[in-house]
Amino acid sequence: MAEEPFFVGWSPELAKPTRRFLLTAGAGLAVGVGAVGLGLGAAAPHPGPGLWDQGKKVAVTGTIYPGPYPHLLTEDLGDGLRTVLLVGAGKDRVTVRPALTFTGAAVTGTLIERGEHAMMAVDGVYPDPAPGRVLPGPEKDLGDAVMTGEILDAKCWFGAMRPGHGKTHKACAALCATGGLPLAFCETGRCSDGKAALLLLNERGQAFGREILPLVADPVMVRGRIFEVAGLRQVRMKLSDIVRL
Amino acid sequence: MAAGYSIVGWNGFKRVYDGMLALGLSLFVLAHFGAGLLSAPAGQHPSEIQLLIRATGAAAFSLLTIILCIGPLARLSPRVLPVLYNRRHLGVACFFTALVHAGLVVLWYHGFSEMNAIISLLTSNPRYASFGGFPFESLGVLALLILFVMAATSHDFWNHVLGPRLWKWIHMSVYAAYGLLVAHVMLGAVQGETGLAQAALAGGSALLVTGLHVVAGRLEWARDRTTDLPPEGEDWLDAGPAEAIPNGRAVILVPPAGERIAVFREGAKIYAVANACRHQGGPLGEGRILDGCIVCPWHGFQYRPEDGCSPPPFTEKIPTYRTRVTGGRVFVEPVPQPPGTPMAPSMAGEAG
Repeated sequence: MAEEPFFVGWSPELAKPTRRFLLTAGAGLAVGVGAVGLGLGAAAPHPGPGLWDQGKKVAVTGTIYPGPYPHLLTEDLGDGLRTVLLVGAGKDRVTVRPALTFTGAAVTGTLIERGEHAMMAVDGVYPDPAPGRVLPGPEKDLGDAVMTGEILDAKCWFGAMRPGHGKTHKACAALCATGGLPLAFCETGRCSDGKAALLLLNERGQAFGREILPLVADPVMVRGRIFEVAGLRQVRMKLSDIVRL
Repeated sequence: MAAGYSIVGWNGFKRVYDGMLALGLSLFVLAHFGAGLLSAPAGQHPSEIQLLIRATGAAAFSLLTIILCIGPLARLSPRVLPVLYNRRHLGVACFFTALVHAGLVVLWYHGFSEMNAIISLLTSNPRYASFGGFPFESLGVLALLILFVMAATSHDFWNHVLGPRLWKWIHMSVYAAYGLLVAHVMLGAVQGETGLAQAALAGGSALLVTGLHVVAGRLEWARDRTTDLPPEGEDWLDAGPAEAIPNGRAVILVPPAGERIAVFREGAKIYAVANACRHQGGPLGEGRILDGCIVCPWHGFQYRPEDGCSPPPFTEKIPTYRTRVTGGRVFVEPVPQPPGTPMAPSMAGEAG
């Protein structure tokens, strides 16, 4: 039996059998590495249809309401009356001067849209009497519900992150919640589709404070009451009605 | 070898090796990124940064898996030794790939806020008491710190300064880093996904690494049992017939206490030296005598068999042992002489 060649790394000579083995192993490894990369990439979860085109600046007119989260009621976006949640450019809330609320205003910025949801990362807010005061219309009570799912920050889920849910996104969701961005609830198995999420509010219809942080992005079961206001559905509940699974 | 240091002691083989490494890493990241981008329905692909986060994380993890497979594979087949030769470059590449992954994570998930990104990283998920909710990011941070220490001390300069034993201990912490990374993936990406790809990657890789180490360990254990212990009242170890040692090669003895001993034959001359290379503990007994020097099969470090010293200008030294040949059989006194002690060879032809 021929003796196995002895490899010396610093030697300028590389025995033919060693060279042949390394070339074969290298080619095999390249194919394997490419295949694993392809497989893992193709298995990446799809975040759904949310989109934030930061290159497309828009101006939308309507009426700004400061609570429970700053939002603009407008008829500029088609489909009748729409609620556009207003947020800052990063992971912080937008502050609107009180003089610009409950009256006609123009908001400039970029739209974050997902299905029937709309949000705007605000560049500026200006007085604009043209639209007059847009009213939210009557609140619809859609009854009680018990659901399992995830509390997430609406900005990331609408399209700022893609995907903006799940455990890997928990830290970001907590940061967004700390920054005062709107929180939403999506049911298990529906976070990646284009269906509606529900704006998450306390039983008085107000935004939760920091007490909600430990529950953000964890699998939870909630018991609450669903309402629809100006086309946007909300789920209202006590903190004690949120149970981590 | 220790005779003046350069950042990288380049040679032709290392250049080809690093070229293939760069090619393989790029191929993996591009394939991962491209498949993630193109496999999703139109307009529904993950964001480019998140794809890069996934691709670089998977690349670093896969590279570390390959690195940990090289050692046991080289024990199972000497054909793999050329891959081991430049393994430290794989380790440094693994650290930098993991660093890119971590940097993108900090920027993407913890940036764009008034809160300091590092504080956010360490405080955003305080559920340390929960298994399923455990903040997996902290595991990644710990693993990255270990990889950093290893990459920073990977150069032979640090091997020389720290000494081979401490250096080896530091670099054995790669197993701790790997364990942390398996948990990082299992408690992170795997928790948040319905697919099994990430679980298969982490679990399958951990099984592969463990399995190879068990197989190589069993083989080593079986080899170690082949040394005959000296008979009652006799201290010297029997290395077998002199002619059974191939010319220019060695047999390895395992004394009842202490380090393994490599017994070389060069023509009629018999020498015994410590089996562990001064550099990284490579098995000198699996090396050869070339141009009058024992050559380590791992990185080509050289020692003169008659005194265990590296040839000038190099300064490494290993212990030597007394030998004798009686009745054609080679015997070794299992008492290491101080590193670099000259020891006259026994002559296989004269005895017996």
